Amino acid sequence: MKGLFPVLYRDYVMRTTSPLWLFFDLVVPVMYLLMFGVGFNSALGLGIELEGRSLSYNEFFLAGVISMACFGLAMNQSYGFFVDRDSGIFYETLTYPITRGEFLLGKIIFQCILAVIQTALSLAAAAWILGVNIPSSSLVYLGVGILIVTSGWFFTFASLAFLMRRTDTFNTVINVAYFVLMFVSSMFYPIDRLPSAFRVLSYANPVTWHTDVFRWALTGVGSTESALVQAAAFFIFSLIAFRVALWALSRAVE
Amino acid sequence: MKRTTEQPAIEVTDLRKVYHKRGSMPVEALKGISFTVRRGEIFGLLGPNGAGKTTAIKILTTLLRPTSGSARILDRDVVQHPLEARRAMCAVMQDNAVEMFLSVQNNFRVYGRFHGMSGADISRQSSRVTEIFGLQDVLNMKGSELSGGQKRRVQVAKTFLVDKPVVFLDEATTGMDSFNKRETLEAIKHEASRGRTIVLTTHILEEAEELCDSLAIVNHGRIIASGSTQEVKSSSLRLITVTLTFNRVTSGVLRKLERLKPHKIAHTEDTIDVQVRSESVAMDVLNSVRSMRGFRHFEVAAASLEDVFMDIVDRQERAGDT
Ligand SMILES: Nc1ncnc2c1ncn2[C@@H]1O[C@H](COP(=O)(O)OP(=O)(O)O)[C@@H](O)[C@H]1O
Ligand SMILES: [Mg+2]
Repeated sequence: MKGLFPVLYRDYVMRTTSPLWLFFDLVVPVMYLLMFGVGFNSALGLGIELEGRSLSYNEFFLAGVISMACFGLAMNQSYGFFVDRDSGIFYETLTYPITRGEFLLGKIIFQCILAVIQTALSLAAAAWILGVNIPSSSLVYLGVGILIVTSGWFFTFASLAFLMRRTDTFNTVINVAYFVLMFVSSMFYPIDRLPSAFRVLSYANPVTWHTDVFRWALTGVGSTESALVQAAAFFIFSLIAFRVALWALSRAVE
Repeated sequence: MKRTTEQPAIEVTDLRKVYHKRGSMPVEALKGISFTVRRGEIFGLLGPNGAGKTTAIKILTTLLRPTSGSARILDRDVVQHPLEARRAMCAVMQDNAVEMFLSVQNNFRVYGRFHGMSGADISRQSSRVTEIFGLQDVLNMKGSELSGGQKRRVQVAKTFLVDKPVVFLDEATTGMDSFNKRETLEAIKHEASRGRTIVLTTHILEEAEELCDSLAIVNHGRIIASGSTQEVKSSSLRLITVTLTFNRVTSGVLRKLERLKPHKIAHTEDTIDVQVRSESVAMDVLNSVRSMRGFRHFEVAAASLEDVFMDIVDRQERAGDT
């Protein structure tokens, strides 16, 4: 497992010397939280009725922001993989004296560390700036959740980066996926009052599954059973993505 | 001659690689190649574009799995023990692989870490390679700001930063200007003289001729000639070029030379290049012109690798063996 350290070191050097990466990896979700929070929270006044509970928009949106953090990190990482393949450094890395497993695991661990930092930043901003109450019982669920969610999306988007050859195709797919997966989900608004086609699509979207679980942990909205089902569904989704990513990595080299 | 010990650094046995791509015919990039590289030697894998050189390097560096056959790096099988094999090597692949978002300095740091070096070792070695490859001016530039030739130099410098026994260089001098190329070739020679084994591919034959102790010529996925550089040059039919200079070349001289049945003959206003296949014919050429009026001087040169390569490929293609 010694081979993990250089993988982490490389990504660390990259973030600390390129402010752009750091910005996208750490700041974007918090900015969403603060800007949407201030805007929508005052615009919506009384807040959001959800399953018989009334939540302020800030309370509602915090789960979405944490989802966005994990999801966005995985997406940035896949962009990184694509750039590295394009420059050839990706292939060179595979000739270094580390195992493929250490390579992938190192990447995931780094993403998970960033996800933990981002979540901490978002929770701190929510609690201290927006005055959202964060129950301490939710922290364990959030902790385990962000590790699984970050990994699941990491495998999904890494597979795209490993399989696609053309920059324009990759950029298009990534941008469309980013937009559709985030907006056709429960990340920004409750989906139970959406038009039915939209609602069905949103329920089929893994982003909805983990956002609902995070929301359940943070606000208590929704039943424990449905949170369990959604958590299990996302876990299975992650396992499948993991298998696909391994296959895609072997294909990437050919 | 360089010192080489008996146990080979690299052993390649009957290596085949077939690429399967959806929607197109399978491509047999390697059709069973075998060669041995001794320790401390510079070995050249030569051949035209598409010959299969990069495919061979990718298999040796564990990026690709062969369809069949085997390859061992310092007795470690690249398929069965890829990690062990990678521990013995470092490689410059054909792309201009540098870290785009990192400075050259940080490129060195990261590369050194991946190869298990300590921070102090990395600093010491990076100053050394910076010096050798003249990279002082670009040390703080990001990979994305470098020219193609500069990226290439950084890449080669990286492999000399770490002290791995086997080095693979796939078209290492591509994109370098002639000044940088000269320094790079010198650096490669220097590293080999310290006992490292270097395998390089190139389609530039002069480069190989200057650097390599031994080589294999690949064409259409097959080795068509191999051995020490001298052996390969003389194994093909001996080719000797005699260049004769006259005040003026006359048809009488040309007719006289044609009678000796040279391999090839070409002339300008005052010189004639006669290519012959043996030393005795070369002597005949000289004897037949030396007392002629207007003859000024001559030069005898062994065939270049380029000539040999063309000769072998020509003969093979004529024999329909492709
Ligand atoms: N990924 C690939 N898929 C299909 N064919 C390939 C692939 N890579 C190389 N080839 C083919 O294999 C042959 C050898 O290529 P390569 O090893 O790159 O040759 P060289 O390095 O000598 O120029 C060529 O015909 C090339 O088109
Ligand atoms: Mg090549």
